[in-house]
Amino acid sequence: MLKLGVFELTDCGGCALNILFLYEKLFDIIKFYEIKEFHMASSFKEHDHLDVAIITGTVSCQRDLELLKRVRNNSNYVIALGTCATHGDVQGSVEGSIREKLEKVYGSRANPMKALDSKPIVEYVAVDYALPGCPYDKDEVYQVLMDIAKGVEPPKKDYPVCIECKLNEYECVLIKRGIPCLGPITLGGCNAICVKSKVGCIGCRGPLPKEANPASEFEILKELGYDEEYIRKKFKTFARGELRW
Amino acid sequence: MVTITIGEFTRVEGNGEADIIIENGEVKEVKLKIVEGPRFFELLTLGRYYYDVPDLEARICAICYLSHSVASVLGIERAFNVEVPREVMLLRELGLLGEFLESHALHLYLLVAPDVFGYPDAIKMASKHGELVKEGLSIKAFGNYIREVIGGREIHGINVKPGGFGRYPTIEELEKIEQNSEALLRFAKRAVNVFADLKFYGAKAEHFVATNSYLYGDKLIACDEEVFDYYEHIEEKTLPYSFAKQSKYKGDIFMVGALPRVMLKSEQLTPLAKKLFEDHREKLSQGYVSLNNLAQAIELVYALEKAKEIARELLDKGLSCENVPVEVQEGEGIGYVEAPRGVLIHHYKIDSKGNISYSNIITPTALNHAIMELSLYEEAKKNYGSLDEKTFVQRLEETVRAFDPCISCSVHLVKL
Repeated sequence: MLKLGVFELTDCGGCALNILFLYEKLFDIIKFYEIKEFHMASSFKEHDHLDVAIITGTVSCQRDLELLKRVRNNSNYVIALGTCATHGDVQGSVEGSIREKLEKVYGSRANPMKALDSKPIVEYVAVDYALPGCPYDKDEVYQVLMDIAKGVEPPKKDYPVCIECKLNEYECVLIKRGIPCLGPITLGGCNAICVKSKVGCIGCRGPLPKEANPASEFEILKELGYDEEYIRKKFKTFARGELRW
Repeated sequence: MVTITIGEFTRVEGNGEADIIIENGEVKEVKLKIVEGPRFFELLTLGRYYYDVPDLEARICAICYLSHSVASVLGIERAFNVEVPREVMLLRELGLLGEFLESHALHLYLLVAPDVFGYPDAIKMASKHGELVKEGLSIKAFGNYIREVIGGREIHGINVKPGGFGRYPTIEELEKIEQNSEALLRFAKRAVNVFADLKFYGAKAEHFVATNSYLYGDKLIACDEEVFDYYEHIEEKTLPYSFAKQSKYKGDIFMVGALPRVMLKSEQLTPLAKKLFEDHREKLSQGYVSLNNLAQAIELVYALEKAKEIARELLDKGLSCENVPVEVQEGEGIGYVEAPRGVLIHHYKIDSKGNISYSNIITPTALNHAIMELSLYEEAKKNYGSLDEKTFVQRLEETVRAFDPCISCSVHLVKL
């Protein structure tokens, strides 16, 4: 049996919740893994050395950072799960220093709870596998855990949302309907589920590594009549300043 | 002075802790601390084009993302004076009912039931009470199915838009919703029995607040029959030891959630839910916060009956699948929604270009912060010294759990 822990830093809870949404497949997982800590699901807790640790969320306060370091030091294989952990997600894109933000919201620059600027965990520690998505597709995490249990290094995806959109034969909302869609520059794996709803991809899985061509996407959106400021904000929603052109 | 710290509540959504301060052998004070970092959602949406805002707000919370998207859409539509047809509102209601089913089932079967039967979690409970866990999971999965159909994805779908939807459900999907609602009803009835015998614990809620319609509203209502906008009677203050704020209604501690809803709006319940409410009315009117669990079980019945009713109405009338055009203009609007754990408020000002110029979001867990703390205090006072420390801490955890708190929501942060 492999020892597994699920740890949440600051996030919406969705990445941990999505594991519970595996339903009966959860029972397959516990054939290979002994769950040592998963505070959303269980009161059982055993601080122990872990074979696999899943970490969700951004580092947004001192508590997050301490927990992250403890877990990294005590775990063989660390999975950064979800776009918060891999790219910083929406909270990572809020501009300004932590003190400015606290002042705007609490009316004081004081920081008794030691809040930090939200950053993905990959900025602080090395991870063994990064699975983005806000949220990721739940079958992906199942596959990754099963691969690790079998001693296989889980493969990494490297194609854009457009590939899955075409395979599903959805109508291209960007070209055919002029709706802003970040599918061409966003990492696939979601099965183009938002395009199924006939709305454009908002880039929740973060930029396609290496081959993305944001400059060309930028030009297409400009030609469709969207102003530069609008496009810039859309590009940085989930992945801070990672998309450059 | 001694402080007992309850580190990280388990089986709740997000990260919270409590300090129980003991002086001269008596409980003096309890501090409920929300220890997740702030995410500054109000700053995130400032300057963003209105159309993209509901998709961003959904990310405040995964368990109730549709409540956030719908509240956001309602606030935006009110700012633009957009009226949507009954069909669109019914579909939104259907989505919110799916969220009740998903969220209440998660809370009752996976998070609270282990307390009732004495297990650390539902997986370990399944060996003896497998049927019950399976029934809960099937309700939860059905709630998620509705969220996927209406919201576009189980978590953080972006199908709910100002003026209507990206995609409308098919006849087959509505038929499936109607059939499953009927089929699952007997499980929900059983849940009411399971959670009817819960002990009374926590504080006694003296004031309840809810929206004027069952699932959403254009005003808030309270048990003193006041009908109001939130800024008229709800005041917030910041705390030095927590990332969430505390609210008072006319200066008093109050509660939002399933218990306030059934107490204030029982006449809006569906037939069977209403009957079950009447059966337990006397008990529920005691107001102890632990009764929120029973109220949630009654709402499972309500949500299934109501979902069936809505699906049937839409099937009978047929769907026109037409969105209302949204014309951008300068304006201000508030959306009130009943998220599974209580009143949720999204308040926006929008400029003439359609960009957000002001945003204020108040979540149910922030509204309940004060009564959660009071409940912990009363429960701690009652039991300190008579229970061993492990049972004592357990009891306090159960008390917090009754609120079904959503800590991620509470630290999205509220603008002054």
